[in-house]
Amino acid sequence: MLRNPFGGWLGSVRGAVIVCLFVALAPFLMAQAGGTGVLAGKVTDATGAAVASVKVTAVHADSGQTRTMTTGADGVYSFGALPPGNYRVKFEATGFGTVEIPSTTVPEFGRATADGKLASEPKPGEPSLGDLGFTPDQTAGSAAAQARLDKRSHMLKIHQRLGLITLAPLAATLILGNGAKGTKGATASASASGREIHAAVGGLTAGMYLTTASFAIFAPKIPGTPTRGSIRLHKALALIHGPGMILTPILGELAYRQKSNGQKVTGIASAHGAVAAITAVAYGAAMLSVVFKF
Amino acid sequence: MNQRIGATFLLLAPAALFGADSQWVLGASTLSYLVSHPLHESVGVSHEARGKGVCHAGQCDFLIAAPVKSFDSKDSNRDLHMLQVTRGGQFPMVTVRVLLPESELTSPTIHCDLEIQFAGQTARYKQVPFQREARGNDIRITGTIPATLADFKIDPPSLLAIPVKNDVPIKVEMTWRPM
Repeated sequence: MLRNPFGGWLGSVRGAVIVCLFVALAPFLMAQAGGTGVLAGKVTDATGAAVASVKVTAVHADSGQTRTMTTGADGVYSFGALPPGNYRVKFEATGFGTVEIPSTTVPEFGRATADGKLASEPKPGEPSLGDLGFTPDQTAGSAAAQARLDKRSHMLKIHQRLGLITLAPLAATLILGNGAKGTKGATASASASGREIHAAVGGLTAGMYLTTASFAIFAPKIPGTPTRGSIRLHKALALIHGPGMILTPILGELAYRQKSNGQKVTGIASAHGAVAAITAVAYGAAMLSVVFKF
Repeated sequence: MNQRIGATFLLLAPAALFGADSQWVLGASTLSYLVSHPLHESVGVSHEARGKGVCHAGQCDFLIAAPVKSFDSKDSNRDLHMLQVTRGGQFPMVTVRVLLPESELTSPTIHCDLEIQFAGQTARYKQVPFQREARGNDIRITGTIPATLADFKIDPPSLLAIPVKNDVPIKVEMTWRPM
């Protein structure tokens, strides 16, 4: 019986080649079989009733890849195994006007919802929205535009709540400022301890303030909405308490060093208390300017 | 000659029997909503509504629409918040469809059936009274739509943990002119 003397060697080489090929092609294969997502939703009419047999078309914004299906008796549709990305979704049904959702994002390994709300097609002669001369930009809404509004509202609510909470350490810092000055008859160690506590609470206030401010600064801006009303005063006051909240700890640090060296507080450091008071008043006024509204 | 009169009669007869079509266009308009809270009230006003009416066979069909973001309460922060809670990003228009018999157009008080689409919802109001006032060829219509936030599944915004009232009456002032 003849045996291939190179069988073992060849087998090893073949195995190694397969492993190498697999390693080399793995990223490509993984990309090809990359994660997909689901796009689903429900189609209803103006009364909220489910609409069956609606043709739903999903078009991938980048590749143009198109998938089509019809809704079931419950008005529900679901596209499985969709490549992730932005999709334009169109709903078409007899007796209804065509509705299009310009953009909805299908996440990888996730699920996006795009519900269709159909309006009855106008009868012949019946006035329609198109007759009124509004531009498509005015009449077409999008989930993305609503998401931007929702995010803005959410961030500003956090801004308001954190702003209210920050009042507590701010008030405490102002009160503790008296102890930091060192009262008559107080020992040097007691004064130093007062300064330490004042500085610590002041640092906490500054940190909370900056966090509060960041939620307003980074909230999404809505184009085409000029600032009007009490929010103008609120923003104007931020131009006072914002720099004040940065300047106060810097001046405080200078004053702290001078005091700790047994010196009298002189120069710009002596403005620490006044700057802090102005900052606190501007901050309180900014809060009041928006509290009496919704 | 008699044949010509006869032909003219035949041409005009259907219009006389069923009523000629007439069309109306919305001129000036003021729509305002009132939101009430125990601490204060706010009014949002829009002058950007557009509308068209078609009367045919004794029945009139009017459509009025306005961008939700055109309502101005003189506070941009509040307006943007209202736009958010009313889902104005996704549903940017408020539309009102009015059906009424053509004969009602001459009454001093017009009772209308309204269908309002707003915030992705549709609400219907039966026999809402509007006052009618003729001004030359124009007709001025005034009235109040008894809308509520619940009609459109809108969560009431809160101030100091107290929600606004559910009732959000919409005051309407419109001037219609024949096309």
